Amino acid sequence: MMGTTASAKIIAIPIMEKPPEPATSVVTEVPAQAPPATSDLPAPEPEPIPTVSLREVFQGLLAKFTRDRLITALLGGMSIAALFLFWYFGTKYRLEFYIRFKNVPTPNEVFQQLTQVGLSNKYLVNIAISVRRILTGFFIAMLIGVPLGLAIGKYPRVRDFFMPVMEILRPIPAIAWVPMSIMLWPNNEAAIVFITFIGAFFPILLNTIHGVHSLDQVLVRAARCLGASELRLFVNVILPGSLPHIFTGLAVGMGVAWVSLIAAEMISGQFGVGYFTWEAYSLVDYPAIVLGMITIGVLGLACSGIIRMVGILLMPWLAFAPGGKR
Amino acid sequence: MSLAEVETQKGFIDVRDMGVTFGANDNKVIAVDNVSLNVQPGEFVSLIGPSGCGKSTLLSIVAGFVQPTHGKATLDGKAITKPGSDRGVVFQQYSLFPWLSVRKNVEFGLKMAGVDQSKRNVTARSLLDLAGLLSFENHYPDQLSGGMKQRIGIVRALATSPQVLLMDEPFGALDTQTRVVMQEILTNIWQQFKISVLFITHDIEESIFLSDRIYVMTARPGRIKAEIKVPLPRPRRAEMTDTPEFMNLVQELKGLIREESLAAMGPELKDRGLSGFGMKVGPKGVGEIF
Repeated sequence: MMGTTASAKIIAIPIMEKPPEPATSVVTEVPAQAPPATSDLPAPEPEPIPTVSLREVFQGLLAKFTRDRLITALLGGMSIAALFLFWYFGTKYRLEFYIRFKNVPTPNEVFQQLTQVGLSNKYLVNIAISVRRILTGFFIAMLIGVPLGLAIGKYPRVRDFFMPVMEILRPIPAIAWVPMSIMLWPNNEAAIVFITFIGAFFPILLNTIHGVHSLDQVLVRAARCLGASELRLFVNVILPGSLPHIFTGLAVGMGVAWVSLIAAEMISGQFGVGYFTWEAYSLVDYPAIVLGMITIGVLGLACSGIIRMVGILLMPWLAFAPGGKR
Repeated sequence: MSLAEVETQKGFIDVRDMGVTFGANDNKVIAVDNVSLNVQPGEFVSLIGPSGCGKSTLLSIVAGFVQPTHGKATLDGKAITKPGSDRGVVFQQYSLFPWLSVRKNVEFGLKMAGVDQSKRNVTARSLLDLAGLLSFENHYPDQLSGGMKQRIGIVRALATSPQVLLMDEPFGALDTQTRVVMQEILTNIWQQFKISVLFITHDIEESIFLSDRIYVMTARPGRIKAEIKVPLPRPRRAEMTDTPEFMNLVQELKGLIREESLAAMGPELKDRGLSGFGMKVGPKGVGEIF
């Protein structure tokens, strides 16, 4: 009696493990009358495979997203509107409560400025030059920072050699490099790119190192057991495993790069959005100051948005990672 | 699929007079002391013992992650010095690469060996079919349950056709139901591949159900305390766990392990047993509590 119940119980266990899909996934095929295994050897059981209706999953996701997104968009719009209203009423009534709106241009004045200057050659050239400087400095920082970070993270000896220098240079803000940079580089353009590079470099380097260190060691072991050589380990395990942290570094680095670039342009520049803003201040052209600021904000937003998008495209698996890295 | 009747059976693991010491001087810890064991070609051998007895260390040596302090480990007569694809390893923690799809995970070893894409694809798909997970080939590991991940871990280790499979408590993180099923799946796969297996566990029933032979280890420093043959017929079925032969083996192993588990908790406990500490089954009355 005991034996039969036990065996019956065991046979009835369906090998069915649902993937943690959203609740909308429809799992069909429950083996209602699982035939009692009669053969001696239980051949690799034809497992009941949870079949998921793709359409329903998508519909569920869509419904969730649109609802979520609607609220997100609403809150986002409200926060921008609040800032705008504060500016609008502040300048309309010329508020003076410690901060002074006396000289601040109104939104309308800035808009006028945009329509006049906005499409002028000078303004667009300034933007183009700033973007070129950012991209050059940022990509050089990435090309040096990521491989160096991987090497420092992987090999203690490389770390021993490079980290003391890095730790001394890191606390020096990029702006403090301006005089040295002007001395060091043959022309103004190279000096500004160098300062942008300095700003982007350290966040990228440190996050890459952190990415290597936080990589689960069992993955490295597994790769070695599967015959991965040192170089292949880097390309196939350490790099993709560190990628989420590398992208954090790239996003932070991009932000610091903009800060550094604008400061450098204001101090030493010809051309560039920072120079445009500072020049407007010198010429007492108040609406142009605000236009310059808004331009910097939009460009910075666009750059970090691009990095985030590339990250999503390169790391599709993160959508399923526990804790939702995204 | 069956690679039946391989004439020259390979996969002979031989561990001789193995000793492993960690640290130095005052912090010196003897993890494994004078252990000799072997796995015959095509044999399923379990290593069982209390936690911290050095059984995982032993497996790490055979896998090639750790070098022994003295003694040596060989595979088919060749000394083991570093990890390699001739030894498939399945870890207790899920060790699938989260950035690769299920199929790419299974293909990984073949890719490292320079096998071209179309061949990799065919091998990986047939192995996934064997694991009953072909329909999940394009999923990412994070979309799967623990039992699924571990099945993929097993077939991934088999993809490069290793001579031996080393398993370090592979089902330790699974729930009891899944575990029972996984054990049956593993015996099936093992019979199809005719591969030598060294299996680490602390689960007595699991070791009996799966193995041809079981080595029992002592508490630290780990030594081989007993070697037990499992005479149960093959193929093994889940119902066998209710037979008297099975139960007797469980009792025998329980006796051997319990002593070591007590020893692992401290020498005083071993000498006196639990009752030696004046532990009682329960208070007899209110007066005894206060």
